[in-house]
Amino acid sequence: MSGNILEIRGLDKHFGPTYANQHIDFTLKKGEIRGLIGENGSGKSTLISQIAGMNIPDSGEMLVDGEAYSPKTPKDANDRKISMVLQELGVIGNLNAGANIFLGRMDRFKKFGLVSIKACNQAALDEFEKWDLPAPPLNKLTGSMMIESRKLIELVRALAIEPDVLLLDEITQSLSLNNRERLYKIINRLKDAGKSVIVMTHDVEEMIKITDSITVLRDGAVVGEVRSANTTPDEIKSMMVGRTVSGEYYRTDHVADFDEEVVLSVKDLNVSGELEDISFDVHGGEILGFCGLSDSGIHDVAKAVFGLSKITSGTIHLNTRNIDILSPTHALKNHVGYVPKDRDNEALMITSSVRENMTMPSMTELSRVGFISPASMNNLATEMVEKLSVKCEDIFQPVNALSGGNKQKINLGRWLAKDLDLLILDCPTRGVDVGVKAYIYQLMKEAKKEKIATILVSDELTEVLGMSDRLMVMKDGKITKIIRRDEDFTENAVIGVMI
Amino acid sequence: MKKKSRITLYDLIPFIAFLAIFLVFTFLSYKPGKGFLMLRPANLYTIVEQTMQVILVASGTIFVVAQGGIDLSVGVNLALSGVIGTWASVTTGIPWLLIPVTLSVGLVVGIINGIIVGKFKVSSFMVTLAMMIGIRGLVNFIQAKILAQRLDNAFQALMNSTPVKIGMFIVVVAIMCYVFEFTKVGRYSRAIGENETTAKSIGIPVVKMKIIAFALSGLLAGVGSIVSLVTIGSTSQQMGVFFEMRVAMGIFLGGVLVTGGSSAKFYKILLGSFSIQIIVNGLALIGKSDSYISQSVQGILLLLILVISALSANKRTKLRKTPADALPAEGGNAPEDKETSE
Repeated sequence: MSGNILEIRGLDKHFGPTYANQHIDFTLKKGEIRGLIGENGSGKSTLISQIAGMNIPDSGEMLVDGEAYSPKTPKDANDRKISMVLQELGVIGNLNAGANIFLGRMDRFKKFGLVSIKACNQAALDEFEKWDLPAPPLNKLTGSMMIESRKLIELVRALAIEPDVLLLDEITQSLSLNNRERLYKIINRLKDAGKSVIVMTHDVEEMIKITDSITVLRDGAVVGEVRSANTTPDEIKSMMVGRTVSGEYYRTDHVADFDEEVVLSVKDLNVSGELEDISFDVHGGEILGFCGLSDSGIHDVAKAVFGLSKITSGTIHLNTRNIDILSPTHALKNHVGYVPKDRDNEALMITSSVRENMTMPSMTELSRVGFISPASMNNLATEMVEKLSVKCEDIFQPVNALSGGNKQKINLGRWLAKDLDLLILDCPTRGVDVGVKAYIYQLMKEAKKEKIATILVSDELTEVLGMSDRLMVMKDGKITKIIRRDEDFTENAVIGVMI
Repeated sequence: MKKKSRITLYDLIPFIAFLAIFLVFTFLSYKPGKGFLMLRPANLYTIVEQTMQVILVASGTIFVVAQGGIDLSVGVNLALSGVIGTWASVTTGIPWLLIPVTLSVGLVVGIINGIIVGKFKVSSFMVTLAMMIGIRGLVNFIQAKILAQRLDNAFQALMNSTPVKIGMFIVVVAIMCYVFEFTKVGRYSRAIGENETTAKSIGIPVVKMKIIAFALSGLLAGVGSIVSLVTIGSTSQQMGVFFEMRVAMGIFLGGVLVTGGSSAKFYKILLGSFSIQIIVNGLALIGKSDSYISQSVQGILLLLILVISALSANKRTKLRKTPADALPAEGGNAPEDKETSE
């Protein structure tokens, strides 16, 4: 077969009565960068998981390079030179980066029946260098690394098998700007070498920028295929939802608008190895944005303000309650909420029910003389589920059965059930689709109207620019610039000081 | 919002196990001419009496287990607090002193456990294992010095009367059930078992909760000690030996997962404690009371529970990715695809 590396014909997959994929036809040329996009639940993850060998199609056929292809495991896929970075795979936390990258392919480092760790580590370093990616410390277990480093290790693991087809699922969401640029370069290198890439991301603009063509899925079926060069984000979005959507979901005003009253005042905050002399005030009704590269300390600011870090010096003073925040418990008690970046591992109890997750921060409010009645928990959870229109069977469904967007609604929404002074958001729209994203921005605008002070930490520059009143640009654990919304509030102005 | 019951097969296993164990030992205990030994009122009373002790102590230890930990020191704690409490009441001649002293010793041991586990982040298994070994030595030392001590007869008779004992049991268990199911301490403990990082980033006082959980576990070991003392009448070398295993088995046989979290429910202690006590009692009835057989059976059971627990935990995390009505036709090969839920 000529130029097609991957062909899918009439593929069907259903789970019980629901069709996840309906008669999918899909052709990928050699050297093509293809985007795959759709709302949460459109079936794109199901499709990818079948190409990756993690799910088996009910019917239909797949061809790789013209030959029949029916993988039963990701390893089968690897053997046919198809590799993947998927949300579900991850790294093995108790191994270092080298072992993770060459997992299952350690034989090449064997000498007299023993695996040479040194050779393995060296080979890993070579791979990182080959792809111009920052190598993580090899003496560290991957489980203790930041989510970004783990994703990069997964990426290198996928690249190390020299794939003909590389599947990337939502990887850019976890990467900072500089590493995203590196990823784009890698994608181009693969393209130049005649290899193909399938990219999934919720960021429509980014997808148009990096792909050759885009396949849009809706309700399990392909609704269209467009050339990236001839399309617009709005066209893609309307194909995704089946109607026209307005492109504007950020704030439309261009003035910094907040109260005089200082809600939180951070002075000379130091956290060893993470933050240096951080000082700032957040006012009532203000959205204070934080942006910077991955190691700039923006996420550490969020953690420290909620009392999760050991601070070496400095104060975090909550003016509205006239106290210093010393611990997370202290923060919770004093009307501060925190939405962590890593939703599944840091924020939610994923095997617990919607109800438990929704009500956990509100235990003090629900308790009457020490008694927390199940009825009051049910009421609160039901009320919030309806208010946020969380899609779930009922409030007793475990949250790991929900989609990413609905999980995030719970993660954020449960704090809105409380009477908050300060809300700390760390990448609140990570891994959610356009609709939920718009909804989260809506919630932030409402919080602003209610005079809640918000700290918004984000890897997405457009997001902080779109929502913040003032923007703190950080680099190497220090604040390098503060820009007000009514000043030079553009990407260029920020990127200049960020790098 | 419709309310759907979510009773899974796993939730039913403890009930089925309880019934199966009861029926099997009832039939095995049949002696021609004597009927079913198991069902004799005297025997049933013994079972209830012994189960009460397990339930009392387990109702404290459940907090530790809910947090994903384990307290192996409850057996020796029961012995130590009992020995010291008895010694205090005998030497001073004030029988009532038994109660406050025993409870205080149990509480203190529990708090020490809690501080080491919570503050210094040592695994609860190792800490309480060390305690179990160390305190047993201490108990034997004290016992050798003061020999077995008898409680004041009138006091024992009063405390051992059925209304007092049952009354105390009901009050204590009701309080613990209330604390576990309907207060912050219980809710937070389960949250910690689900995911400690999450608990911390919501603002749950994790260290404090761990200390409270171990303190409750210790305090209830003290309560168990008092019940055990007034039943037997004196201290002995055998006090609390292997009792921690019985408590752990009571909790796990009831269907609480070793990882704790939302699988921890108070009713499960009652169920599991009866199951384990019927096994112990049943083995004695059919003439297999030698401790080696009884212990082997308990050991094998514990292994079984751990395996079932692990299997079910795996299954839960896998299967629950898809909603109940959209399970894949192939059964076990559930997709880890969050998107199918919509």
